[in-house]
Amino acid sequence: MKIKLVLFFLVLLWVGGIFIRFFIPEINGLFYLLPFLEKTYSTVCHQQPAKLISINGHKTLVCARCTGIYLGALLSSAGLLFLKLQNKLNIKLLIFASVPLAGDVLLYSLGIYSYSKTVALVTGLLLGSAGFLYIHEGIMDLLEEKNKKDKN
Amino acid sequence: MKKHLPALVAGFGAGVLQVVPVVKSFSCLIIMPLAGFFALVLYQKSNKIISPISTQKAVVTGLMTGVFAALFGSFFEILITFITKSNDLVYVVNDLYEFIDKFPVEETVKTQVIQLTENVVNSIKTTGFSLLYSFSVVVNNLIINPIFGTIGALIGLKFINSKIQQNS
Repeated sequence: MKIKLVLFFLVLLWVGGIFIRFFIPEINGLFYLLPFLEKTYSTVCHQQPAKLISINGHKTLVCARCTGIYLGALLSSAGLLFLKLQNKLNIKLLIFASVPLAGDVLLYSLGIYSYSKTVALVTGLLLGSAGFLYIHEGIMDLLEEKNKKDKN
Repeated sequence: MKKHLPALVAGFGAGVLQVVPVVKSFSCLIIMPLAGFFALVLYQKSNKIISPISTQKAVVTGLMTGVFAALFGSFFEILITFITKSNDLVYVVNDLYEFIDKFPVEETVKTQVIQLTENVVNSIKTTGFSLLYSFSVVVNNLIINPIFGTIGALIGLKFINSKIQQNS
């Protein structure tokens, strides 16, 4: 349970960083962190202005797709606090979860339809929530291996 | 060192890709996890492994890939900034001032942030080097790259082990 809580708070911190511009009007001191965080998130996202989620003039630090992926991871990490995975995950689940995102990228890149933040967010959400389950399982496997080693 | 060769190769590749402008723009969440995965594939192929790889090995490979990518990526970024006396920050600084000016925060905070940014930009324009900028690049890369490299290796491990199990 402890590790699940730590994971949840780490993901929450990361997702909170994405929305830092929304909090700055309330907590001015966070403004000093903004240039550093902009640079941090630029490592993992193109940050094209047209693809950022904007609410009341405040924009996220990553694109709609990445926001979806991280929100999905946050949802999964929250769900795992209360639920336990019964079986080992099959790799097919991840492949199925990535198909809508890959399809969206392909279709809009080919010009079949124009970029939609909602579609990007939802497909990202799906992949993020599934992807986190594998990360979680990997960490649990790692701890299990370590425990076995310690016992031996 | 030989045992970290796959991580070194994949990390070098990721480090280079991280500074290529066009590729960098399309790298949304892709480069580092793929590098972690690629390092694990290299490890499996180079050691001719036919039994499932341990999670610990995957984590170490992913972490090391991230560390190498961070070191190479930071080195190339700082070097390119030094040679060209310009970088992304110099290009966007005017937009940044405009953005800061519009932001609903106290004037003193705005002035301090603008002053800090100006110092960094002036150093880069005159000498090609800013200690604060270089420090933030290295710290950023050393935190982010190993995390995403490990994530890539952990997910990649599932693919590789399921393939190994199918073949055996």
